[in-house]
Amino acid sequence: MRSRDELTPMQQDLLRELGNIGAGNATSALSTLLGDKRLDMVVPEVVVCSLPDTMGLVGGPEMVVVGIYITMSGDADGHIAFMLPKDSALSLVGILVGMPVEELDEMALSALQEVGNIVVASYLNALSDMTGLKLVPSVPALAVDMAGAVWGAILAGAQITEDFITVIKAAFQVDGTSLDALIMMIPEADYFERIFSILLGTEAGE
Amino acid sequence: MTELFVNMGELKVLEGNGRLITVGLGSCVGVALLDVQNKVAGLAHVFLANSGNHKPSDQPGKFADTAIPALLDSVLKKGARRYQLKAKIAGGAHLFPTAAGASLNVGKQNVEAVRRHLREVGVPLVAEDVEGSYGRKLVVNVDDGTVIVQAIGQSAREL
Repeated sequence: MRSRDELTPMQQDLLRELGNIGAGNATSALSTLLGDKRLDMVVPEVVVCSLPDTMGLVGGPEMVVVGIYITMSGDADGHIAFMLPKDSALSLVGILVGMPVEELDEMALSALQEVGNIVVASYLNALSDMTGLKLVPSVPALAVDMAGAVWGAILAGAQITEDFITVIKAAFQVDGTSLDALIMMIPEADYFERIFSILLGTEAGE
Repeated sequence: MTELFVNMGELKVLEGNGRLITVGLGSCVGVALLDVQNKVAGLAHVFLANSGNHKPSDQPGKFADTAIPALLDSVLKKGARRYQLKAKIAGGAHLFPTAAGASLNVGKQNVEAVRRHLREVGVPLVAEDVEGSYGRKLVVNVDDGTVIVQAIGQSAREL
C-alpha cells in the first residue's frame, strides 16, 4: 500500500469527490429515513490520514461511540465503519421514534444498526454507480464502546498495519439538533489503483 | 507527576512516580512489565499477534512477537532487574462477534501470542483481565506497580 505522499493532487481530489458523492447519497437516505425532518449535511470532510490521527476525528480514543461495522465484498473487498458519539446516537434514535431517548436499549441499538445499514449501502451505491464496480455490503455488526476499542478492533480485523486510510467525516444537522456521524472506509490494498484506473484512465501502479 | 499515553502500536517506559496510560484497548492487548523495587515500568499497546505477514515496521509495539522483546529491552535499559520483573496484561476483547468473518478472533490470538512470548522471555504473568466483548482502559502506576483496568459502565478495579 502507498503512503499519502505518493498520491498525486489529482488522485487526492478524486478520492475527496468520491467521498462527497458517497456521503451525499448517504445523507439523502438518512433524510428519507427521518421522514419530514429537515436534514442537512454540513460540508463533509474527506481526509486521507494516518491511523493515530483518525482517533482525533472521533473525539479521541476514550469517547464512547456506537460503531456499526460492515464489510464490503463483490468486485472489491473492504471494511466500513459508521460511527456516532453516544450523544448523537441518542439524538438520532430520538428523532426516529419522535420522543427523547435516554438509554440505548435493544430497540434503539437495532434502529441504529438499520440506520448504519442504510447509510453505508447508499454510500456504496454511489461508489458503484461511479466506478461500475459491484460493491456488496455485509450484515452490520454493532458495538457500543470506547472509540479506540471499536476502531482498533476493526483495523485489527482488517489486518491494517499501514498508516493510510480514507476517512469521510460527515456531520448532519436535523432541525437544529447537531448530529456527528462518521463513515470510515478501509479498502483493500489495490482498490485505489483500480478506482484511478477506471476514472482517470491510468494504468494500475502508475 | 508524569503521565505518558501509549497509543495503538506504541510502547513506552517510565521510572519513578509516573503513570503509563492506554485507552481504548479493544482486540488490542496492553502489556505492562513491572519492577516495583526499582520503580521501573513499561507498557505496550499490542495491535496484532505476528509481524511475519506484514511489512517491517519501525514500531515494534504493534506486534506481540516484536513488542515483548523490545519492551523487555527498554525496561532493562531504564534500570529494571530481569529477575524482579512481573507482567500484567489486559485487553484482547472480541467486539464484533456477529460480524462477517468474525471467526477470526484477533483478540484471542493476541492474548495467546502475548502469553507465549512472555513465557519465552521468562517474565512471569501475574495478573490478567482478557477477552470478553468490551473495551478497556489501562493505567499503570509506576512506583507501586499497581495496574488499574476500567471498562465502559463498570467501576475501575485493580488487576
